[in-house]
Amino acid sequence: MASIIDVPKPRINCSLLSQHISRPVCFVGRVEKVHPTGKTFTVSDGEGKVATVELNEPLEEELSGVVEVIGMVSNKGAIMANTYNLLREDKGIPFDLELYNEALKVIHDFPQHYPFEVAASG
Amino acid sequence: MSVKLSQGAVEALCRGLEVRDSVMQLLNIRQIPSAAGPPRYRLMMSDGQHSWSSFLLATQLNHLPEDNLLVPNCVCKVKKTVTNTLSDGRTVVIVMDMDVLQSADEIGGKIGNPTPYDKDGKTSSQQDTETEVSTSFVPPSPPSAAAPGPSYSNNSRALSPPRGSGRGFVGKSPMKAPPSKFSPSPMKASPSKFQPSPMKASPSKFQPSPMKGSPSKFQPSPMKGSPSKFSPSKFSPSKFSPSKFSPSKAGSSSPDSSTKVISIAQLNPYQSKWTIRARVTNKSSIRNWSNSKGEGKLFSFEILDESGEIRITAFNKEVDKFYTLVEQGKVYYITKGTLKAANKQYTTVKNDYEMTLHAHSSIVPCDDGQGIPAVHCDFVPIAELENRDKDAIIDVIGVCKSADDVSRITTKTSREVSKRALNLIDTTGKEVAVTLWGEEAEKFDASGQPVVAVKGARLSDFGGRSLSALFSSTVMVNPDIPEAFRLRAWFDREGYAANSQSLTETRSMGSGARMNWKALSDIKDEEMGHGEKAEYFSCVATVVYTRKENCLYPACPSADCNKKVIDQNNGLYRCEKCNREYPNFKYRLLLSANLADFGDNQWVTFFQETAEVLLGQSAETLGELRETDEAAFDRVFQEANFTTHIFKNRVKLETYNDESRVKVTVMEVQPVDHRDYSRRLLSNIRRLAR
Repeated sequence: MASIIDVPKPRINCSLLSQHISRPVCFVGRVEKVHPTGKTFTVSDGEGKVATVELNEPLEEELSGVVEVIGMVSNKGAIMANTYNLLREDKGIPFDLELYNEALKVIHDFPQHYPFEVAASG
Repeated sequence: MSVKLSQGAVEALCRGLEVRDSVMQLLNIRQIPSAAGPPRYRLMMSDGQHSWSSFLLATQLNHLPEDNLLVPNCVCKVKKTVTNTLSDGRTVVIVMDMDVLQSADEIGGKIGNPTPYDKDGKTSSQQDTETEVSTSFVPPSPPSAAAPGPSYSNNSRALSPPRGSGRGFVGKSPMKAPPSKFSPSPMKASPSKFQPSPMKASPSKFQPSPMKGSPSKFQPSPMKGSPSKFSPSKFSPSKFSPSKFSPSKAGSSSPDSSTKVISIAQLNPYQSKWTIRARVTNKSSIRNWSNSKGEGKLFSFEILDESGEIRITAFNKEVDKFYTLVEQGKVYYITKGTLKAANKQYTTVKNDYEMTLHAHSSIVPCDDGQGIPAVHCDFVPIAELENRDKDAIIDVIGVCKSADDVSRITTKTSREVSKRALNLIDTTGKEVAVTLWGEEAEKFDASGQPVVAVKGARLSDFGGRSLSALFSSTVMVNPDIPEAFRLRAWFDREGYAANSQSLTETRSMGSGARMNWKALSDIKDEEMGHGEKAEYFSCVATVVYTRKENCLYPACPSADCNKKVIDQNNGLYRCEKCNREYPNFKYRLLLSANLADFGDNQWVTFFQETAEVLLGQSAETLGELRETDEAAFDRVFQEANFTTHIFKNRVKLETYNDESRVKVTVMEVQPVDHRDYSRRLLSNIRRLAR
């Protein structure tokens, strides 16, 4: 089975979650609360809305700041994370989540200019 | 040897009848100082029967008194005259041509026993007293001017019954306006003031202007009350400074202009007589300028009445006259301004015309301001500003959340100017920076987060979107309008906590200059640089090629001289500019490179400073590397290749030996601010998508 890594993953925010159920997505958001078990945590997106991320293995480290999660959207609207990627705030320019959200809106408003091929084309 | 005087000539002339070649005796002559132009001479002439002193010598005859030919008691033949009637009914006879028949010595004394001629038939025995009072008999204009009077013939005779009668004149009554409107209080009391003899030393001469103290203002033109209308110098008591108006104003003073009040909407350059009554909505400060033609100063203000608004500018002398008189929020009668087509670039005022005040203009305060709306603004919500075009003139209102400190900037013209940026936020939750300049910047008090309204600010795309107060803008702090109260209420309740997004990003680059963002393809599309002046623009681009051969040249080591030196091959290097030889030189960079973006590529030149920034190495180091370590030298250029930066460029069409080419020079290299760039792209996308 093709790894989720090889598949194009549209970037989404909370409002678009429902449209991508059972599809691989890339979600960037700020870590809100981490569940005591470490297997799930909530993230807020650029618009302030909140989504839940579920992990296969519990977290080993404290998570905070902006994180990029790649995974599938469950039919409950949660993201089943395959992998995540922390965007460090202490290095470089801090990530502007609102600006990112604006860009997301543009991408989804003009799909003809930002096509997402299902098959990864060369 | 008594020469026969033309008896009855005085009476005839006073009545406006044409009398040619009358023989009259000069009883008295006095010079009237005039502000500009040659001196004027006032004559008292007698025809043996009557004497009269409202004779004015035409300037072409000034040589007569100056050569001492016109001496009291000499007899002259008055060959040609022009009779002017002033607005107040007084008559002035301008002597256009005159010969001296007999000198004063020959005559010996006054001929006959002339009585002062009194237009209205009343004898006045003060013929002469007037002289000290009427110090200024300022002719309305060169003798050739037609009587201003007639034109002003207008309504209200009411005010001057005595005048109307015995006149036989064009019967204008100077005071057009109904009595109630008109006279300044002193005047009010007295139609009787309008003494029969124009020379009467009536305390308030007939000053339409509230300037009553001025004894004899003799204004031919309907004295709009403009202080320094005609007599620049006289009247020490009444200074004729706009400020005079206030003290002497007694109740509503109306302009004594000829016409009734018209509405601003009716103003046009083809209408010569008009008066308007309006409120000052916006007054600018005095601005001085100095250019090749000299210096000057001006101030401008906008007025508003029920029908519309118009912008008025006063220059030089009029600035002194009117600046202190005109106050924002007050209502005035204004008359006699010059109208011309409006220069829309400088104003948002909705009127096809704009007015300039001149020496004859008059502004008289009006107490009755009802019916005239107060300040009228068209506020644009801050969030909307993004959708407006840059350079648009906008009115905006918001709460000043914070203000930067006053900073001093030196402009391209080496002038030092203060500036201050305020951050205004409004109910849309968006913020914008408004820049104030000069005095306004220094005066502004941001404490207490006041509501600030700015009328007529220019929208710029500096840092995204920002506003700049123009010379003509008005800044109102906590204005008395409903929007202000609404904003205050909103802000106190929730606004202060709102996490607003500013449309104006922190300016990391550009110190006051607006960034002119372009793509490289725009250079050709817009034929940039083809005009007379060089054009400047900024772009985001990637270096795709750097020409490392010939990027370094030996330059003159003396400070400030960067001319290439010639290697004399004897260990010395010659600089042509300094005309000297040096044993050494300094390396300077002159890098030719190619930049590319999504649309196009462009060859550009980097001089020393910008090249060093791009390559990250100094010219000296590079010089050494080139001689010692080729590989390292090459690596420097490799590193710079395919890097993306923000370039601020200068583009100009240059001709070299018959060949014209557009040359682009890089003035500044800056790292890309991704957030700023993204915002710009997003707003461009949104704008293009509309």
